[in-house]
Amino acid sequence: MTRQNFIDRLRAGLAGLPTPAIADAVADYETHFDDASAAGRDEAAVAAALGDPDRLARELRAEIGLRRWEAERNPSAAANAVFAVLGLGAIDILILLPILLWVGGVLLGFYIASVALFGVGGVLMVAGPFVIHAAPVLALVLAGLGLMAGGASLTALATIGSVGCINALVWYGRLHMRLLKPALDAQGIVG
Amino acid sequence: MVEAVQVQLKKGVLELCVLALISRADAYGYEIASRLAEGIEMGEGTIYPLMRRLQAEGLVETYLVESTAGPSRKYYRLTKAGAARFDAQKTEWTAFSAAVNAILGGAQ
Repeated sequence: MTRQNFIDRLRAGLAGLPTPAIADAVADYETHFDDASAAGRDEAAVAAALGDPDRLARELRAEIGLRRWEAERNPSAAANAVFAVLGLGAIDILILLPILLWVGGVLLGFYIASVALFGVGGVLMVAGPFVIHAAPVLALVLAGLGLMAGGASLTALATIGSVGCINALVWYGRLHMRLLKPALDAQGIVG
Repeated sequence: MVEAVQVQLKKGVLELCVLALISRADAYGYEIASRLAEGIEMGEGTIYPLMRRLQAEGLVETYLVESTAGPSRKYYRLTKAGAARFDAQKTEWTAFSAAVNAILGGAQ
């Protein structure tokens, strides 16, 4: 493999990440090639010694994705971190997917319930006094407000739960980068 | 199989070796990669994702040094947290390897 091949495959593997992050990662390997050729080493030998660029790109992508999630807690960073962790190896997906689906379903249920609660509260507060004549107006408005507040706090709880889940996933991802990944690498080298 | 165990062992102690190397003197990427590849045969490219992780964990930090030939070079140095981690891991490794050696010696 030539230097250009190696860099191209690395770039392809990192595609989709923020441009500065790709530039940083590629610069590390460009400098490595420069230093190696200054030391009189052959380009192809250096590329071989570096290892598989696709696998290196996956490791870098996971590291960058996890770091982004730790820096900025938003849905896009969360999705990135989750996919980066899943991209580390097929074994992770098989173990994680059922758990992820279950946890995701429960959280989705909480979100839907809280939205419904909020909606019912709103309707009760606004339309209640006109439709239900048996109860005093103030009681209906307060009951509606109470339901809306309940819905809002349920949303907050579900959000805290979601952040906690992604944090757990990130922790799991780091653990696997250290423990599981070497086992997969070993298979590649032996096989 | 023996090869697989070797690779796992090497990867496991890689972080410790990198910390040890930088604790002696600040170093740049190629230096670290080639020194380690020399000592414990392994993919040199693995160093860079590892350096990124160590940096993200605040164990190492980087600074640029002007180079006479070509662009400026990125050096890595150990932070206080990195030095503390190195001491802890070194102690752990010494105790662990002593225990393994004692068992290996006893088996002969």
